[in-house]
Amino acid sequence: MPEITYLEAIRQALWQEMKRDERVFLLGEDIGRYGGAFGLTHGMLDEFGEERVLETPISEATIVATAIGAALLGMRPVAELMFMDFVLLSLDQLANQAAKMHFMFGGRATVPMVVRMPGGSGSGAASQHSQSLESVLMQFPGLIVINPSTPYDAKGLMLSAIRNPNPVCFVEHKVLYKMKGEVPEGDYTIPIGVAEIKRPGRDITVVANNVMVIKALNVAEKLSKEGIEVEVVDPRTMLPLDTETILQSVARTGRLLVVHEACQTGGWAGEVIASVVGSPIFDYIDAPVRRLGGKDIPIPYNRILEKAAVPQEADIEQEIRASVEGRI
Amino acid sequence: MPVPFIMPKFDMDQEKATIISWSKKEGDLVTFEESVLTVETEKVAIDVPSPASGILAGILFKDGEEVPVTKVIAYILKEGETLADLPKMDLPKPPSKPEAAPVSQPVAVPQAISVSATPIAIRMAKEEGVDLSKVQASGVRITREDVERFIADKKKVGRVTVAATPAARRVARENGVALEAVSGSGPRGRVQSTDVLAAAKPRVTPLSTAQVNGRESEIIPLTNIRRTIAERMQKSFNESPHIALTVEVDMTEAENARKRFNVQAEKLKQPRITVTALMIKVVAWALIRNPYINASFNGNSISLWKDVNIGVATAAPQGLVVPVLKGADHLGVNEINIRLVELAERARENRLKLEDVQGGTFTISNLGMFGIRQFRAVINPPESAILAVGSVVRTPIVVDEQDRVEVRPMMSLTISADHRVIDGIVAARFLSDLVIGLESPSMLLY
Amino acid sequence: MSKDKGKGSEKDIGSHKLFDKRVKQLKMSDDSLIGLYRTMCTVRHFEYMADKLYAAGKVHGTMHLSAGQEAVAAGISLAVQPDDYLINHHRGHGHFIAKGADINLMMAEFLGKDAGYNHGRGGSMHIADFQSNNLGANGIVGGGIPQAVGVGLALKMQKRKEICVCIFGDGAANEGVFHEAMNMVALWKLPVLYICENNKYGMSMDVDRAVAKLPIAQRADAYGIPWACVDGNDVVEVYDAMKTAVEHIRSGKGPYFVEAITYRYFGHSKSDRNLYRPKEEIEDWKQNRDPIMRFTKHLLQSEIIDEGQAQEINAQAEQVIIKAVEFAEASPEPDVSTLMEYVYA
Repeated sequence: MPEITYLEAIRQALWQEMKRDERVFLLGEDIGRYGGAFGLTHGMLDEFGEERVLETPISEATIVATAIGAALLGMRPVAELMFMDFVLLSLDQLANQAAKMHFMFGGRATVPMVVRMPGGSGSGAASQHSQSLESVLMQFPGLIVINPSTPYDAKGLMLSAIRNPNPVCFVEHKVLYKMKGEVPEGDYTIPIGVAEIKRPGRDITVVANNVMVIKALNVAEKLSKEGIEVEVVDPRTMLPLDTETILQSVARTGRLLVVHEACQTGGWAGEVIASVVGSPIFDYIDAPVRRLGGKDIPIPYNRILEKAAVPQEADIEQEIRASVEGRI
Repeated sequence: MPVPFIMPKFDMDQEKATIISWSKKEGDLVTFEESVLTVETEKVAIDVPSPASGILAGILFKDGEEVPVTKVIAYILKEGETLADLPKMDLPKPPSKPEAAPVSQPVAVPQAISVSATPIAIRMAKEEGVDLSKVQASGVRITREDVERFIADKKKVGRVTVAATPAARRVARENGVALEAVSGSGPRGRVQSTDVLAAAKPRVTPLSTAQVNGRESEIIPLTNIRRTIAERMQKSFNESPHIALTVEVDMTEAENARKRFNVQAEKLKQPRITVTALMIKVVAWALIRNPYINASFNGNSISLWKDVNIGVATAAPQGLVVPVLKGADHLGVNEINIRLVELAERARENRLKLEDVQGGTFTISNLGMFGIRQFRAVINPPESAILAVGSVVRTPIVVDEQDRVEVRPMMSLTISADHRVIDGIVAARFLSDLVIGLESPSMLLY
Repeated sequence: MSKDKGKGSEKDIGSHKLFDKRVKQLKMSDDSLIGLYRTMCTVRHFEYMADKLYAAGKVHGTMHLSAGQEAVAAGISLAVQPDDYLINHHRGHGHFIAKGADINLMMAEFLGKDAGYNHGRGGSMHIADFQSNNLGANGIVGGGIPQAVGVGLALKMQKRKEICVCIFGDGAANEGVFHEAMNMVALWKLPVLYICENNKYGMSMDVDRAVAKLPIAQRADAYGIPWACVDGNDVVEVYDAMKTAVEHIRSGKGPYFVEAITYRYFGHSKSDRNLYRPKEEIEDWKQNRDPIMRFTKHLLQSEIIDEGQAQEINAQAEQVIIKAVEFAEASPEPDVSTLMEYVYA
């Protein structure tokens, strides 16, 4: 299987789907000749032309609204927001409009659209270009929030996202763009709303998303040498969240740590933990459930401060050790 | 000023004690050093003497409650004092009215203890079944709020819970294990499911191959003593490298000596000399000759004890106790025997005092009376060795160089020694001294 | 139509000769004129019935009534085709009725019934009928303005003849997305007809106090969008402007902007106590400029209908509304077991 990057995997999905389905088109800022801020749409203008690779003015709300309008008429728009932070400029259209249309109109409207948005810190982009806002988006039923952690997942989930009849927020992570992994060249989809156990282990369940999955896997590998077997669960879809897989995992391990880059307060870890402790799985919990989120601060610019603002591998390791104390 | 009655600290590492029972009640006259209550420490049950003469009042902890040492548990009132004089109640009183509390009266007789309280507090206390004398007044007199606080606190106390994870609770439920009986391995002693499973195992193990339906076990919560035994034995076994050496002793002469002693003891209406008493005498002698056996390992140093205080492992209803015979090397067999019998009796009745079980430097464990021929014991820390005494069995042995075989009363002695302090050869010498002492007892008994 | 008419100032209703002339110019048939009258009557009855139902405690939520603005809805509907798309604002009953919505289903939705257009999920503010390309009303002021860009884009991509009509109020014109959308719709020359229905008040805010430069429609100049500002209480004038706009759009020249000056009789919503405008003002509009009254006068003067016919049409319209209420009231409530439905497609 060829090894390509996370970024290339997403581009491949867009490319192949645009070839397969002429209703699919891209819109966003600087996605044409420039190839997108991260180069993700590089070459697509030449291949598909201006009619299907639409460069827009800097009008995030209307980019998303345009996707909505087109989707209502049966198109399959894929909009790009240059940074996830800018989703806040278009939140009315995503949250008040797209998310609610199917419901509000009694099931008579569908809004099949994808809004791509690279989030996360690690690139020195500072406070307004580094946020992880997936927890915010999880507050809007009707939206689908996807958050792939590997190139393989990114492609398979993107193909599912475009084909899904609902508005999908496709949250990418800037730091993952260069990560390589095996990706089948052909067409495959990964089901939306299904978590994946990225690594099985008996001692503790670590639920993590996007780049934190990679960090958790590294820690799991290290701790395995000491006999601590960490199960890493990647929800992949944040909304709707596959709590079933998480519950089953916790039932096996008895321990839970949730890791995300999003600010801890109000972060989705709380949601996961509440789902677990409020379920019958409560009786299988064998240590206080823990969460490790980003610090409750805007992401700083300075490299050292930026690192300290979000969970690092050492933090994850420490949390795992604290959780399994006395067990191993 | 009323004399505060504190929970005494009996032992260096003791942090708390559990009140087994108060033998006196509030209002009772007590005299200085008179036993007022019995408490259980991690080691023994102890009678606690009164710190003063007067009237017992203001008991703060009930039977069954665990109390940190040095905490005030009650007060002793002198003549003329009332509960209102208790320290926590001596908030500003109306200076000009020394008899401001009209209900308060000088304590002359126990029944006369009375409490200063507002009428509604008195009514409430009556309705709620609260003993007003136990209620602390926040001001001059006990008010409704004080009674309410007392009731609320009482409820709090009743909700003592074991720190355990939900999974541990489930496993305990499923296996019928009392969580109180499980020691936790988690942070701050939190009980985890694996701890419960481990605790449940002994019950399960004998049945492991064939599941017996409906088989139930009685769950016995750990007493402090049981828990202490468990922890100390586990610690000892984990920390000190045990070596064990065994010798066989011909007890012919020792038995003869015992018989002679017993003829005398009968005449004096004294208890019959036991093998253990004889053993203690010989062991005390051998310990003087082998100071490293009478020692403690301190990590960076070794303490060679000057005193020879020999503990005797004794079965008591509440579990294993080890009363200690102090200065055994200075005592004759008769005296050893008398003290031993007394200690054993106290142990059986759970009346051992703390000093009875403290300060041991060596321990003897005798299971011979049960027909156990030979066994190894676990060292009782901080001691460095323990002697396991087997039963006396008439055994044919070669008695001389002509290979003549005779039936002799033979007994095995096994020493478990902490190799950090005691080398094999040191232990061997000690054992050979015991053999000498037991096979030629006259040299030390008379 | 003209650009200098400005606000809905005092305006002579005009002689019936002028009326006849314009009708002839616009090639409006008698039937179409009667149709406009019927539509306006139906809207008026719907709104007054809604108010009555509300007073009777039969309406769960709020509502925004368009009585007084009927000419705008009617005028648009005659200018567009039934399969043109409509994106509407929260005061949308009239536009939906004019677009030919099933009044029974509207009323059922208004009463929150399962038979309603939205299965009781939307209520007054969100009535939509996707089968007739009615893409729904929007509860967010200005929320639909940028969506029209997408609809227009899709129509262009799909090379279709339909256009998108997007109606919003004077208040919505001050939302930021207004600018984004105007820019993009003009940039891409999309088939969108933007209609600003200026009823003078954004809730309580007088348009004179909220808009730096009037008319609102002149803002279209900034984007190179042709525009008109018309008397929204003159149904023929509204139709005239819309017809021109629709022709412009269908010819592929891109968007068009029409502002229609009108006036609402009821408060903004049911919580409104009309403290921000004098009673005399409301009465003046009702007595002197009412769109139905004016149109009826012309129809009678031009002898397109007579008094009896006018009353008959009006009575028929009322019957339609009464029947719709009967239908709605007889409809079952949504089953609570269906609560979680329609969240995801």
